[in-house]
Amino acid sequence: MRVVRDSALSQVRAGYPGATPDADAESARRTEAMPLPGTEGEQQISGLQGVVINERSRLMRFLAARGAGDEAEDMLHELWQRVSTAAGHPIADPMSYLFRAAENLMRDVRRSNLSRERRQFDWHETAPTAEEEPLGERVLIARERLRAVDAVLEQLGPRVARIFRRYRIEGISQITIAQELGISLSSVEKDLQKAYRAVAQLKAKFDAE
Amino acid sequence: MRNDTRGYVTNEGGDMTEEDSNLMDTARLWMIRVNEPDFDNWDGLSAWLEADPRHLAAYETALDEDAWAAGLVVGESRPVPFARSPAPARPALSRRRALLAGAIAATLAGVGTWSVMGHRPAGTEIVTAPGEHMSVALSDGTRIALNGGTAISYDPEHPRRVTVERGEALFEVHHDTATPFVVMAGDTRLIDAGTVFNVVRDGDALEVAVAEGAVIYDAARQPIRLEPGDALVRPDGSARPQLRKADPASIGSWREGLRQYDNAMLATVARDLSRSVGKPIHLAPGAERIRYSGTLAIEGSAKDIMARVGPLLGVTITEGADAWEMMPADAAPR
Repeated sequence: MRVVRDSALSQVRAGYPGATPDADAESARRTEAMPLPGTEGEQQISGLQGVVINERSRLMRFLAARGAGDEAEDMLHELWQRVSTAAGHPIADPMSYLFRAAENLMRDVRRSNLSRERRQFDWHETAPTAEEEPLGERVLIARERLRAVDAVLEQLGPRVARIFRRYRIEGISQITIAQELGISLSSVEKDLQKAYRAVAQLKAKFDAE
Repeated sequence: MRNDTRGYVTNEGGDMTEEDSNLMDTARLWMIRVNEPDFDNWDGLSAWLEADPRHLAAYETALDEDAWAAGLVVGESRPVPFARSPAPARPALSRRRALLAGAIAATLAGVGTWSVMGHRPAGTEIVTAPGEHMSVALSDGTRIALNGGTAISYDPEHPRRVTVERGEALFEVHHDTATPFVVMAGDTRLIDAGTVFNVVRDGDALEVAVAEGAVIYDAARQPIRLEPGDALVRPDGSARPQLRKADPASIGSWREGLRQYDNAMLATVARDLSRSVGKPIHLAPGAERIRYSGTLAIEGSAKDIMARVGPLLGVTITEGADAWEMMPADAAPR
């Protein structure tokens, strides 16, 4: 399949704005219409995309370290496309926003790779996969495990259990929890670390079953 | 990074050394910090990941543990957790920031725990970017899962009346006989009767599929009651709605990145795909006659999705600046 990439991206891939393969007349024609970062233009290049161009090396470094490796360029392309749809709204901290989007992208990619592997693996399995197990049964298993997690957290003390519940189940931010309990942010982090350590042990136990 | 785990003994995985255990603790601390919405030490994370190849694996493991824990919680009400976390919701206007923070945090955490949105300004609108999934919990206990490219709005004073502006959403309604939950799609009212149902709106075109309970479709003089397994399809505002059968188990399976079709027109498939890939999908002449039955996996990057579905749909897909184009695979190449 031939995939036509958009012209703005070819700039990102080429490493700096305005760079185009000389041989590619079509691309060059389009590039003329591309504004350089910081210039006013009627092109649909969003402010975020300008930041992607300017901060290419930091984002590339992050993507490569975050698991993209040699495919960091492709991931940057994907990021570029994602942020193009987020145009039109002011964003307080574009760099954090882009890194966050890059982090999410890598989580997505990994998840999609894992589920593809699982599907291929399941193809050869005759036993029902988790998705095929009766719904009621899955709910029962999940409830049983949740009870086990609760029990383990309670052993770590009421504060640890409460912080984990507020954070992971109710979605309250760590800084808010710290304020609620009148403790430091690093105490909240420490308690969460303890909780996750216990959760990991339980997960390992269940995975082995 | 602090390392305050000296002396801690663990039996994770059975044969973990103390060094491994410390590594995991550090990785979890990164995970805990990154998942805070205001985390900004991204270069620090890059440096830590670069320092040792084992760091990335440990970090991924920490993310898996977090997703696993969240999956248990979501499993309480629905067995399949959300596990998508594409582009964060746009922190657009400052008045939306606070209310989105919870949603972002949940989305970012890799698994959508339901974010509680209790105190919101009037006329709240929730918008997802293409490819983004978001879950919203209303104060009455109702949960709404938003597919990409979707907008819903409601008045927090009246949380049991939600408007689908466009796109696709799965409603798990907290039933209250005294106050029926109403979903508006244009002039059409959908009234729940204790329900899990999916709504797709594209202009005046509407699709409703009921997984549990019942929904009353109220647009014409004669309301239509939809039971589990019923799907109502209305191609445009003036057309008469048609009733079809849907597999209740597969309604809402888009949340797992799966789409099931039964002799669907390619235009319908393209519309669903465009909510994930972020650009409209145009059909080349001849392609509109293609019909598809089967399951499509819609996850990963737009490029991955298109590469995977093209052969299944029997089309060649090309990407232009503003849109994708599908042409029958047997048409002459360009």
